[in-house]
Amino acid sequence: MKAILKIALGIIAGLGGFLDIGDIVFNTQAGALFRYDLLWAVALGTLGIAVYAEMCGRVAAVTQRPVFDVIRMRLGFGPGLVALIASTLVNVLTVAAELGGLAIVLTLLFDAAFSLFVVLAAAGIVIAAALLPFGGIERLFGYGGLMMVVFVAVIFHQDPDWSAVGNGFIPSFSGSTLYFYFVVGVFAAALMPYEVHFYSSGAIEERWTTKNLKENRLNAIVGYALGGILACALVVVSGYLFHPLGVEPGDLGTTALPAQGAFGETGLLLALGGILFCVGGAAIDSSFAASYNLAQFLGWEWGRYRGPEKAPRFTASWLLFLFLAMVIVLTGINPVEITEYSVVFAVVALPMTYLPILMIAGDHSFMGEHVNGRISSLLGWLYFALIVVLAIVAVPLLLATNGGGG
Amino acid sequence: MRALSVCASCVVLVAVVCGCGDLSREELGRGVESLSAIAAQGELIANGVARDATKSTYTRTMSKTLGGEAEHEAEKLADAEPEGGVAPERHAAVLVAEEIAELYSQLQVFPGDERHGAVVQKHMEEAKEQADAIAERLSGKR
Repeated sequence: MKAILKIALGIIAGLGGFLDIGDIVFNTQAGALFRYDLLWAVALGTLGIAVYAEMCGRVAAVTQRPVFDVIRMRLGFGPGLVALIASTLVNVLTVAAELGGLAIVLTLLFDAAFSLFVVLAAAGIVIAAALLPFGGIERLFGYGGLMMVVFVAVIFHQDPDWSAVGNGFIPSFSGSTLYFYFVVGVFAAALMPYEVHFYSSGAIEERWTTKNLKENRLNAIVGYALGGILACALVVVSGYLFHPLGVEPGDLGTTALPAQGAFGETGLLLALGGILFCVGGAAIDSSFAASYNLAQFLGWEWGRYRGPEKAPRFTASWLLFLFLAMVIVLTGINPVEITEYSVVFAVVALPMTYLPILMIAGDHSFMGEHVNGRISSLLGWLYFALIVVLAIVAVPLLLATNGGGG
Repeated sequence: MRALSVCASCVVLVAVVCGCGDLSREELGRGVESLSAIAAQGELIANGVARDATKSTYTRTMSKTLGGEAEHEAEKLADAEPEGGVAPERHAAVLVAEEIAELYSQLQVFPGDERHGAVVQKHMEEAKEQADAIAERLSGKR
């Protein structure tokens, strides 16, 4: 019973912690611009992250090696260093975007300057990370993020054309460059590399062994699938309300408007609260991911469970990345723009993250009886091929569409 | 050194000339469409105020951001040199942009006043209709 409860809590935390600013921005804009047409890309991205997260968790539990350990081992020092630099740049940009997102939501809730909230948000993250145990951080932000369920309730309140919503899950290609840019954006936002960096390092922080493989599978598959429902809800409510009006949501505050329209102030507060916790959780995850990667690649002592005394370089690098992200946001660049760039550049770094995982998860000498099965292997390679194609087209699409501006 | 400064002057001149190109029908159309979208968001925000179904800080912050965008659009359109034949539409678009910015500033001042919210909602709807009408004239649909 206790084990079932633990798994259920893990799934719920995963559900609330699935969304980050990239998902929120890209899914809302995708709905506003293309109504329900990109729901299939959200579903495809969600299945992709579930497949790779399950693999990362399994590799970590069986070999006790997190992602960047695997990357260095499989790619060697040179290519591994390239992967580290690319991932770190993307992770720092992501932390900056999440911090900016936190500050935007705080300005919508309380009356004070944006820059003050950027500093307070960074301080809040340091305090949360210092005071809470690893599982506590996951649960706090995961459960808080569950307020995003309000967007599912908004769908039923709006009562959209359900057959049109259903048709959105069938892949369609409009042929416009902007449409393809959003296919890449929505897909990549679901597969941000920091998610697997954090997930696999978290498995080691929580001392997973082969006994946790069932938990890993349920967390990855059910948790991410339910998280994908929240992502789809953002597309649907945005498509229903914003698409006919021609609204192009360029601000996080606009995302909350459908909830206000449906449920008044309560809806608005739930939506803003949900965004706050999702983005806050992602800020912690992505900042930790950056320092996990660096420490694992360079062979430093790492881990929240070790504490700053036993892992000083890991802790210092985490604070440094957080500080760098704060400086980026304080320069005045729009956090939504930072998000768009971090998501698109993340696509370029994706193959370097996912190939070594795929290789080691399929290596019998490392994984023994827990090696990839036929389905995992097939899905893994299919997704890898897709990721490579998207990595090639991502930057040209970003330039051709003027960063999604059309 | 002299050659370098001549080159730099040429670069600056080219940049200035390129930046001051005529405002085409398409560019104006895009600007007007974005005004329509800003007005549509204003209508939704004002609706929340009118129904007493929102939070004052949210209304104020959103109005500040979106009102700033409308003002920026007005300045951008007013500064540009219109291509032949689109000057009247450019002028109408600037007026609509100013109207939207003004409506947002009213929401900023009275974020908790339901009566004001209802009036602003109605005017935002009208501003959106005006922007849509300009966009249709520009695209030749009307």
